[in-house]
Amino acid sequence: MSETSVAEVEGVDREGQLLRYRTGQRYIHLLVASSFTVLFLTGLPLIFEPLSFLAANGWSRIIHRVAAVGFMAVPFLYLLVDRQGAKELIVDSFSYDKDDRRWLLHMGQYFLGNAEGMPPQGRLNAGQKLHHASVIILGAGVVFSGLVLWIWAGQLTDVQLSWAALVHNVSMLGLVLLLIGHIYFTVVYKAINAMHTGYVPRTDAELEHAKWVAEMDALKAREPQVPPTEQDPPSGPGNP
Amino acid sequence: MRQAFLLDLTQCIGCTGCVVACNTGNELGEDTNYIAIGDHERGTFPEVVAGIDNHRCYHCTEAACVNVCPTGALFQEDGLTRMNADACIGCQYCVQACPYDVPKMVNGVSTKCDGCRDVTRAGGSPWCVQTCPSDALRYGRREEIAAEAHRRASVMRAKYPNAQVYGESQTGGLGMMVVIPEDPDTMGIPADPAIPTVTEAWQDFAQPIGVGAIALTVAGAGVAAVIARRHQLHGGHEHGTAETAEAVAASAAADQDEERS
Repeated sequence: MSETSVAEVEGVDREGQLLRYRTGQRYIHLLVASSFTVLFLTGLPLIFEPLSFLAANGWSRIIHRVAAVGFMAVPFLYLLVDRQGAKELIVDSFSYDKDDRRWLLHMGQYFLGNAEGMPPQGRLNAGQKLHHASVIILGAGVVFSGLVLWIWAGQLTDVQLSWAALVHNVSMLGLVLLLIGHIYFTVVYKAINAMHTGYVPRTDAELEHAKWVAEMDALKAREPQVPPTEQDPPSGPGNP
Repeated sequence: MRQAFLLDLTQCIGCTGCVVACNTGNELGEDTNYIAIGDHERGTFPEVVAGIDNHRCYHCTEAACVNVCPTGALFQEDGLTRMNADACIGCQYCVQACPYDVPKMVNGVSTKCDGCRDVTRAGGSPWCVQTCPSDALRYGRREEIAAEAHRRASVMRAKYPNAQVYGESQTGGLGMMVVIPEDPDTMGIPADPAIPTVTEAWQDFAQPIGVGAIALTVAGAGVAAVIARRHQLHGGHEHGTAETAEAVAASAAADQDEERS
């Protein structure tokens, strides 16, 4: 992950590339991705019996719990390193306007790799909003049920324990399905570089997030000058 | 072939010989017991009931422990619930789910009677049965064990009017047919231990649906990715490769030329 200057301003334009993900956001994403991957791999033997030998002797449980601490720390760290970004993400994820609803009606076209002619979108398109809202809700479900199983398992009745385990498993299943979708769109829209560098090609952003680009341009027009960065923008495509 | 134990609590003298034989034969550690012998005294004078408790795995047919076990460490075989300790991850779900409070955690893994799997599969009798001096324990085909249990209960009714066989219907039928001199409640045994629906939903629905949904979604995403790539290669905007608006325009012009030709 490349370094960027301290003065990171969302939407800053450098040689046809717009800053979409600040450094803090990218590290938070890295923490989510790495901890979730470990949680998934150490949890998989519990729902897929042929792999259960990997979980024997309890080592995977210890690793699972270490990763769980990292996963649970995400909302707190996000608020710490980028409070504004965290707040915007939560608000945006649960706010849908007319264009979002129209976008969702035509999402089949976007799903198959064609963003041309889709209704204009803000920083998050309607699909990303649904994705993030689902991650927030299911993430809360998996965290709280996981804490119950971790801390209070000994005090639960069999019914309570079964419910906690069922909520944990079903929430995690939902998150894994969302992850598959996330990886799918990352591949189809060649977005990996955006999370690596933080920058997206302006043309891609105009195509998919026209309202966001217009908003950034309007902000820049009002402000005297964007602070200079010490480093040239990285090249390459990408915009999830 | 479905096997079963006979446990005749009208004959058990509480000598703990079965406990010692079980511990020795199964090479259990100091803190581990698959069988717990105790006694009970219930009621008030002159209606006092007293007797021996012989607490052990009842080998349920619809076993909650097997249902909730995520790794298959607990499984059913020959009508009994077996335990493969090597596959146990110590999640304790079985400890919580068992209606008889049987599995115990020892050194981080669950442990319980597995019906002396190695001995019985080789044609022998479980260690506890081999050593019982009062013929309170037997092991064999479940039909034969059930018939013997009923014979004993009918004989005992002359002395204990409430004598009965416990284990024919509970949790789908137990692999432990227990002859009890009083009704189950008096003996401190749950009369009809029910497995909650949510517990059964665990393995019957949540696991297979989860694995199937993941596999289907991955396969669907793979097919869709191929279709999307073809769309992008044949006329659409190939995302991420256009560095400038001019490049997009040039690409569109090239596509139009291709269509004309």
